[in-house]
Amino acid sequence: MTMTAGSGDPLVTAAVVGGGPSVQIRDLTVAYRIAGRDMAAVAGIDLELPPGSITGLVGESGSGKSTLALALLGAVQKPGRITTGSIEIDGVGDVVTLAPKAVRKARGAQIGYVFQAAQNSLNPLKTVGRQLLDLAKSHDVDDKQSLVRQAKSLLERMGLDAGRMLDAYQHELSGGMRQRVGIMFALVLNAHLLVLDEPTTALDMISQANILSIIRDVSTDRALTTLVVTHDIGVVAEVSERIAVMYGGRLVEQGPTTQVLRDPKHPYTRGLIRAIPRLHGDPALAQALPGRPPTLGTTPETGCVFRERCDVFARLQLPACVETDPRPTPIDGDRLVSCHAVASEHQQADREARA
Amino acid sequence: MPKAVRQLAGHLLRGLVMVWIVTTFTFVLVHEMPGNPVQAQYESLIEKGFSPDAASRQVAVTYGFVPHGSLWSQYGHYLSRLLHFDLGKSVSAQGVSVAKEVASAAKWTIGLVLAGVVLSFALGVVLGVVAAMRRNSRLGDGLSIAGSLLHGVPQYVMALVLVTLLTVKWPLFSTGDVNGLIQPGFNVAYIASIISHAVLPATAFALSSFGGYLLTMKSSVVSVLGDDFILAAELRGLSPGLVFRYISRNAILPLFTVLALSFGFMFGGAVFIESAFNYPGMGALLVSSIGQRDYSEMSGAFLLITVAVILANIVADLLYTVVDPRVRRASGT
Repeated sequence: MTMTAGSGDPLVTAAVVGGGPSVQIRDLTVAYRIAGRDMAAVAGIDLELPPGSITGLVGESGSGKSTLALALLGAVQKPGRITTGSIEIDGVGDVVTLAPKAVRKARGAQIGYVFQAAQNSLNPLKTVGRQLLDLAKSHDVDDKQSLVRQAKSLLERMGLDAGRMLDAYQHELSGGMRQRVGIMFALVLNAHLLVLDEPTTALDMISQANILSIIRDVSTDRALTTLVVTHDIGVVAEVSERIAVMYGGRLVEQGPTTQVLRDPKHPYTRGLIRAIPRLHGDPALAQALPGRPPTLGTTPETGCVFRERCDVFARLQLPACVETDPRPTPIDGDRLVSCHAVASEHQQADREARA
Repeated sequence: MPKAVRQLAGHLLRGLVMVWIVTTFTFVLVHEMPGNPVQAQYESLIEKGFSPDAASRQVAVTYGFVPHGSLWSQYGHYLSRLLHFDLGKSVSAQGVSVAKEVASAAKWTIGLVLAGVVLSFALGVVLGVVAAMRRNSRLGDGLSIAGSLLHGVPQYVMALVLVTLLTVKWPLFSTGDVNGLIQPGFNVAYIASIISHAVLPATAFALSSFGGYLLTMKSSVVSVLGDDFILAAELRGLSPGLVFRYISRNAILPLFTVLALSFGFMFGGAVFIESAFNYPGMGALLVSSIGQRDYSEMSGAFLLITVAVILANIVADLLYTVVDPRVRRASGT
């Protein structure tokens, strides 16, 4: 099935959209065992990726977003491991409890993963075409010719000279080309879940725009469920329908992109958006968030992980912020915010509305 | 493939230049040797009653250059003889040409060095991969420690230990001279003989040098394991066998450089190992020629070792071009 055929087949799209969530993460905790102590890089994450949607996962480096992305493929790197929770992926099952071989088979086939562009995600000693055949061998694809045809149509679709690409070694490709070849590898076996880790970092502006439009088009064409992991809110605003904000291993806020960006609720999200320089107006209006993000060792054991940098906590000093980790509270229907101050404000507003 | 031919030609040209430099060096060495062996032989021949002319000719036959005349004419004479593969005559075995002596010794040494290099390379690479994969376990640590310890033991000590243990204490092998009646060449008797006589020296080579490969391979594998393309291959669902091949092929690349350098090291080590095992190769030839102040034989052996090392380097370079597309496609464009 080529991409154009996929887009021309409304039944396929409808069938995918009709089901439950494509990915359902429940209470996921990933801990790294360092010096005999488990340190949580990702803690108590609940996240749903609706089928056919693009979700942007944003956070600073060290916020646990890449760990979360790797967990989706059952590929948390040692000494890390998933300690609690489940990751239910449509058509695959619970990645946490699945046998290693089944997880291996799901990678590439059902779940496509695209690396950061600057990283070298190809074997430097083999041509792209040879690596495509390795992929075929690993996934027991018998019809290699149609796989090559599929790869070529994907590459051409992304504006590349497919024949040249398959004959090329990694060092002969530019960053933008590598990234598109990476997307081809992620999708050539018809994965329905696409995870992109910093897809545009280290690309020039033109290539960035190009890759983003490719991600958007491909996701729509193939009705993919897509997760874009990035530190760049601009990227999220550009491509994603939903946004999930991570801080210190927690999901602090999630909801539809436009709503969250227009009216951020969590103090961290507000700070993050304030920190973006604007094209118009005074660049000095962009304010850096004071303080530093926590590392594995400095994450507070109890209470809210953000309170040390939180302007609301500085003002109100709520005891709950010190005592308990805030749980996600539904707000305005589709949004979830993990903040004691926002939750109590919301309850108050609710009570007033009822009274 | 004109590019490959051009490349080969370039390698050979550079090799020739190196050989020329070394021959010049040997010439100067013999010429400037304290005690002036050329002059000494000339004088001893005069004492034996040779006419000055005859003595001069005899010396020229031995060393490849006449005892008198300007430095340049001596040098020119020497080079022109070399171009005819004439290395002069042996002093200790009068009348035998050095070229013949060296060639027959080389046949034994080349087999030994090749066996030693291949054995130590294979041993080091395999154990290095194991050490890298099991680097957090006792096995990995043990292999690394054994590798560096053995690497630290000089070759001749290793040779003496093996001789003591396996021929004296538990006489599994004989240290007797290689049967002189066997014709070196591609025949069963010769190969059998080289195997039975070369096992211990080759083992000594391998044991004292696989540690270097082991440690290099281990660190190379560990660094490749951390490379993004390995994680990317795993995330693409590549089978463990293929991922392992990706790792090993990339990790082995830096070892080719070490391999090329080790040939020279091996030939050098042959001097000690061969004399410890009484093995009739280049090392033994060099030692005996040094003992008898046989300068013509010495310089002949020296020259052959140099040529062998240079050839090994060229082969390693070409090999590198074959295995690494980055080198292959970058050169010549």
